[in-house]
Amino acid sequence: MASATAAEAAATEWEAARKVLVARKPCFGLPTACPTCLPVYVYLRMAQVPFDIHVDTSFPDADHIPYVEFGDCVAFNNEKGGVIECLKEDKILNLNSNHPSASSPDVLSTKAMVSTWLADALQYELWVVSDDSIAHDIYFSDLSWPIGKILHWKKARDVKQLLGITKLNAAEREEEIYQRASVAYDALSLRLGDQTYLFDNSPTDVDALFLGHALFVLNALPDTSVLRGTLQKHDNLVNFAEHHKAQLLESSSSGLGSSSDPSMLSTPRKKASAGRRSAMVNWEQPRAVLSSAGRSRVGYKPKPRAKKERTEEEKTFRRRAKYFLATQLVAVLVFLSLLGGVDSSELEDDDGIDYED
Amino acid sequence: MASAADPAADQNPRDAEPRKPTNEVEAEAEVAEEYEEDDYEEEDEEDEQPDGPAASAAEREKIRAVFQRLSSEQVGIRVHDVVIKGNSKTRDELIEAEVLDLLRAAPTIQDLLRAASVATARLRQLDVFDAVKITLDAGPPELPGTTNVVIEVVEAANPVTGTAGVYSKPEARSWSLEGSLKFKNLFGYGDIWDASGAYGWDQTTEVGVGVSLPRFKSIPTPLMARASLSSQDWLKFSSYKERLLGLSFGLLSTVNHDLSYNLTWRMLTDPSRAASKSIRRQLGHNLLSALKYTYKIDERDSYLRPTKGYAFQSSSQVGGLWDSKGLKFFRQEFDVRGAVPLGFFNSALNVGLGAGVILPLARGFMNSSSPVPDRFYLGGHSSPVCSLSGLSSLLGFRTRGVGPTEPRRLVPSESDGDSSATPGRDYLGGDLAVSAFADLSFDLPLKLFRDAGIHGHAFLTAGNLVKLSEGEYKKFSFPEFRSTFRSTAGVGIILPTKLFRVEVNYCYILKQAEHDSGKTGIQFSFSSPM
Repeated sequence: MASATAAEAAATEWEAARKVLVARKPCFGLPTACPTCLPVYVYLRMAQVPFDIHVDTSFPDADHIPYVEFGDCVAFNNEKGGVIECLKEDKILNLNSNHPSASSPDVLSTKAMVSTWLADALQYELWVVSDDSIAHDIYFSDLSWPIGKILHWKKARDVKQLLGITKLNAAEREEEIYQRASVAYDALSLRLGDQTYLFDNSPTDVDALFLGHALFVLNALPDTSVLRGTLQKHDNLVNFAEHHKAQLLESSSSGLGSSSDPSMLSTPRKKASAGRRSAMVNWEQPRAVLSSAGRSRVGYKPKPRAKKERTEEEKTFRRRAKYFLATQLVAVLVFLSLLGGVDSSELEDDDGIDYED
Repeated sequence: MASAADPAADQNPRDAEPRKPTNEVEAEAEVAEEYEEDDYEEEDEEDEQPDGPAASAAEREKIRAVFQRLSSEQVGIRVHDVVIKGNSKTRDELIEAEVLDLLRAAPTIQDLLRAASVATARLRQLDVFDAVKITLDAGPPELPGTTNVVIEVVEAANPVTGTAGVYSKPEARSWSLEGSLKFKNLFGYGDIWDASGAYGWDQTTEVGVGVSLPRFKSIPTPLMARASLSSQDWLKFSSYKERLLGLSFGLLSTVNHDLSYNLTWRMLTDPSRAASKSIRRQLGHNLLSALKYTYKIDERDSYLRPTKGYAFQSSSQVGGLWDSKGLKFFRQEFDVRGAVPLGFFNSALNVGLGAGVILPLARGFMNSSSPVPDRFYLGGHSSPVCSLSGLSSLLGFRTRGVGPTEPRRLVPSESDGDSSATPGRDYLGGDLAVSAFADLSFDLPLKLFRDAGIHGHAFLTAGNLVKLSEGEYKKFSFPEFRSTFRSTAGVGIILPTKLFRVEVNYCYILKQAEHDSGKTGIQFSFSSPM
């Protein structure tokens, strides 16, 4: 099967090469402070895959970040539904494979809930409610001031559009967003109970997604944040987040390979506690695999695919056509220049005669 | 009253005097008449008595006397007043600043006439007047030996002009179709506003608005400011697309020197998601704030087909002046050309050598990388002979077809695993580039070709690119650099037409490195006709 070959090739690259996760910068005591990158980081940690981190500071509005490089291959955030889904589909890495009921409706619907309702609430808090300093610290602190300002304004406007917030319905939308988040937290709390993971005590990608969300809400959002307050009402969710955070940080400090930022652990929480925090927004949340989900961006077809389909015949034909057209053009130009050259030389003689008079 | 508006006759007043048209002589006569002492008025009155032939005879006598006097000695004069007429919109200060010092400094009539023609030329050069006329008028009668200079300008009736054409900018690597609208003299300062759009052959598009001021308060050189939005597509060569939103200020612009400041927001994206690792690391937003100084001497006899002379250009650019987060680098380029005529068949030998280097300047610059769009690239079909920025052209190789490369992203394809085309390579450009060429141009034997300006040439070009940043400079060695020079040789025909300058070349690649895209064969190249 062709796709099996492709998957094998990808798996070979994965095994052979060093993996690099390119994500946004660490902040607020988190290994990477962007809510889109954090779930991917957590997922790779949970799968106990050794990888390096490279910090990207110059592209805050990129769709494709975070991405994982392995050898010459790359899994982007804006392809096939996200990095996690991409790795799953290429049969490279799948946390759920050990899980007995991995594709049960329960898991899928929980994933959908986390990826939409909770993610929307987070976006709302980061870009619309809070002031600018949190988003600035995460995304724009390494860009020059005018660019940072303009991009920030653009993103805030886009988020409002995405969430359907206008001046008229702002209050209602806010209430709806918070209400959904609250319901989601209740459901998750119920699901989790006393367990270590959400489903049957073994990690799934939903755990990674929710953990990324919860870590951000608890560490980066200000104390006055409504979302944070709602989450803190559920002790078992808070403990879940703290427990796994300790585990992740412990394993990372034992040298599992984050290369480029030693300050990850000691990142100043003080930066965030100045009382002016803006809510963090997922630039492009890796949407769940439900491909019929309205806001998924799976449909983009990269251009090289179209070009590869040109056959050899077509290429030769095109080349010949180009040569033919070029020859025609040159012939016309030569004709014009010769004709033009003869005419202008006659005119010059006339001018000379007049001048001498 | 007579006008001194004909610059040709004023080239050399002494020699030209015998051939001066009569009205010039009258001017001198009028002016010289000021010199006549007190009883001039009376003489004039006497002359005005209706005695036709006698009066004209006396006039002629006077004129001849003045004529003799002017041709034999310097006749002193003083400019009493400069009157400007005809400028409803243009400020007086502008015109005065251009010509006043020049006119007032003239001590004699001859110098004054010369100065007047220079002043006329300068005012014409401002490009905001339809016609300029300078007249030397009699000064006030109580002050002998003075004259009033009257400057009459006719402002452009239609302040809007539009042009469209095919040009080749020195920075661009190919020609582009450009259209522009100019608004002249909107505020009366000689300001020229222009809005332009350009579409280039290599998918470069640009729109911009700009203003140029001939002088601003006391700064003598013209000032220029321009805001532009442009995009360039390098997906095929280096897997990125570049979008620039920038402000550029021309601070100093004379014949030899040019200083400008650029503030540009540069965005590199890769919609194809196929870029190699180094390019992926460079994608994103950047603020480029750079000061660029260019020094240029061009003593060649012709731009299109130089047969004699030399040219030199040095261009330095320092980036990173806005804040510590912008792009910081130093870029230097040299270019030397020379042309020697050889005598037979109107042939000439052109040689040229160009070198350039770019160094990142940030902390830890030894290991940081230089920005991809500012690096040097070699390749392309544009002729190195004409333009002074010939560092980038290497005939026979594709645009950006030389230098360090990196494999693109490998996408395990859905079709057959093995026979899928390799993903290709990105050309990354180099931090140090050297290129040289030698070109022998000669006339073709047919008279038809000679008349049309069609000539042939044989050439030899060589160039090399190497990466120095990110610690690679430690591996650099001159012998290796010398031994990896790429070179091509070839012959071709050049056809200068009214629209383009077409070159048809047959290039033979003498030496190329493993991943260069050079091809032996016939190539066409187009450049601006000038």
